[in-house]
Amino acid sequence: MKSTKRYEIYRTLIAIAIALALGYILILISAFPKGDIAFFEKLKTAIKDANKAFQTFLLSPVLKYRRGNWIFNLRGFIQWMNESVPIIITGLAVSLVFTAKHFNIGAEGQLFLGAAIATGAAIYFPSIPIITPIIVILIASLVGAGWSAIPGYLKSKWNASEVVTSLMLNYVALYMGLFIIKTFLRDPNAGQLVSLKFSDSASLFLLNTRYRWHSGIIIAIVMSIALWFIMKKTTWGYKVRLVGNNKYFAHYSGINTQKTFFQVHLLSGAIAGTAGIIELLGYYGRFVWLYSPGYGWDGIIIATLARNNPIYVPFAALFLSYIRVGAKTMGRYTNIPPEMVSILQATIILLVTAEAFLSQMRQKAIEKEAKKSEEVITGGEIHE
Amino acid sequence: MNSVLSSILSWDFISSGIRVTTPVLLAALGALVAELAGTPNIALEGTMLFSAFVGVIISGFTQSLWLSVIGALLTGIIMSSILAYFSLKLKTDIIMAAIALNIFASGGTIYALYLLTGDKGSSASLKSLVLPNIDIPIIKNIPILGDILSGHHILTYVAIILVFLIQYMLYKTPLGLRIRSVGESPDAARSVGISVFKTQYIALIISGMLASLGGIFLSMGYVSWFARDMTSGRGFIALAAQALGGTSAYGVALGSLLFGFSEALSFSLQFLDIPYEVTQSMPFIITVGALAFYAWSKTKSKRNKEL
Repeated sequence: MKSTKRYEIYRTLIAIAIALALGYILILISAFPKGDIAFFEKLKTAIKDANKAFQTFLLSPVLKYRRGNWIFNLRGFIQWMNESVPIIITGLAVSLVFTAKHFNIGAEGQLFLGAAIATGAAIYFPSIPIITPIIVILIASLVGAGWSAIPGYLKSKWNASEVVTSLMLNYVALYMGLFIIKTFLRDPNAGQLVSLKFSDSASLFLLNTRYRWHSGIIIAIVMSIALWFIMKKTTWGYKVRLVGNNKYFAHYSGINTQKTFFQVHLLSGAIAGTAGIIELLGYYGRFVWLYSPGYGWDGIIIATLARNNPIYVPFAALFLSYIRVGAKTMGRYTNIPPEMVSILQATIILLVTAEAFLSQMRQKAIEKEAKKSEEVITGGEIHE
Repeated sequence: MNSVLSSILSWDFISSGIRVTTPVLLAALGALVAELAGTPNIALEGTMLFSAFVGVIISGFTQSLWLSVIGALLTGIIMSSILAYFSLKLKTDIIMAAIALNIFASGGTIYALYLLTGDKGSSASLKSLVLPNIDIPIIKNIPILGDILSGHHILTYVAIILVFLIQYMLYKTPLGLRIRSVGESPDAARSVGISVFKTQYIALIISGMLASLGGIFLSMGYVSWFARDMTSGRGFIALAAQALGGTSAYGVALGSLLFGFSEALSFSLQFLDIPYEVTQSMPFIITVGALAFYAWSKTKSKRNKEL
């Protein structure tokens, strides 16, 4: 299967290349000057500005331009690392349910409610180093699992569409979370709606204090490896994959499919539940969201890019947060809206998930593969 | 409590319920057509949003209602065509393709809004038009009945007419039969010579146009501007309304009404000391509850049949 895998990589790379080209065009359009100059003059300035903006977009998470030299951009790098943490985690959660061919898209609600309730623990739980953050994260994960259990139960028991119920529950979680923060945990001295500050030892270990690089990235990568191990090396993971590939076959080979589906929802919710609180513990030190941060939706993009393989999830998330940090930095120096990134994201998802996109290339790869394996079987000669 | 009761029993309550129901109902009818064709359309949210945007932009720049409605409908057709092309031709999972379109609409409208108006939040700086309310002659002069039936938004009447039209189309015309048979079993449909691709494509286009109407109701119905993410989940609620209403347009209308009136109720309950967040989440809780009940009763009746 090696060359079909290579084809998957090509397809992803081509999708990214097309998206970046589109990004350049969008930047060019936004850079187009207004006024009464001749068209070619306009185009010239637009291209000049667009090139500069595109350079910032592409390089700013790692490099910055100072006094004629490109130097390492520590601040951008740390922002990149920090931004990828919550989306690695939601990416893992989503890839797990998608592997089982379920579409629980409730990661957004699970992480929001998990973070809101765990905020209470982060404020009031006795401050014990190392122990406190672990307990806070565990509480968030329990809340996430519980919240995900509702659509999971409704689906596996009565076959109610988990797409719709998990979507509806996202809104309920948003309002419930805000209600909890507002009524019980609000900081009365702060200008806007934020929670009280977390207790001292609740925050995560910092790898760099100046720009608050928190250890969430380590937690996220450990989670990816753990989930990869579960999915590829344990019987349970095998069951989940089997159920996702063909639930009828799985059923007839003696797997309790309903139970497996329910367990998948629980584990996925538990993972998603931690995404929000890890970011809050690491970076903000209190609950700061007034609306859904959207990480649950990002998780879907990442799971798609990573082909639901937990080990690829951090790479996909790093890529996505890279272009986001790039776009944000570009947005600070130019007036190009960073929201253009979502157009690139949509393009990438569409092209990566399009089975038949570049299918000729794949066909060739498969044929080559088949010929090769045939050669092995027949000892070099191909018989009709 | 009395004030709440009197506000619930007032015409204002009914008309606000109808107002909230209209965009959801239009999109839910779109969800129904797509669902019956076997191509669930999760992109309704993005389609509504983009159409709401295009409607306002065209009316702002051309001051023509016709052009803006046509533009919005075309937007719906284009969004659906992209969805159809990717899911039917390039074999993208339709839920993934739709999620991509929703992401595209959410960021794309902000990007385009900024380019065209220099504002990222709303199009308030544009002078754009609204579609009118309609008084029905004769009926409007009848007391009470006139209050209930007359004076609604034009798209509310369109939505009501469409409920019957869609029901008729689905169950009484050859196209409806094709749509349903393709949704039921594509292979069987193919074997009797129905083009599965063409049928599903048409169904998605109809679905997108219905969502467009729902979208322009939001931006050109009671307000005259577009705001970022102004659909705020109504496309998803439409999916829920369709799931509640099952396979008939009447059922879908009832599902949408349930949502519309539970939202209107949540406005009324704000007069009590119930926190805003609780009343706001009520329609969603009611929807999940109703969905669960519907699913439960369906499995139960299935079991009874088997016995």
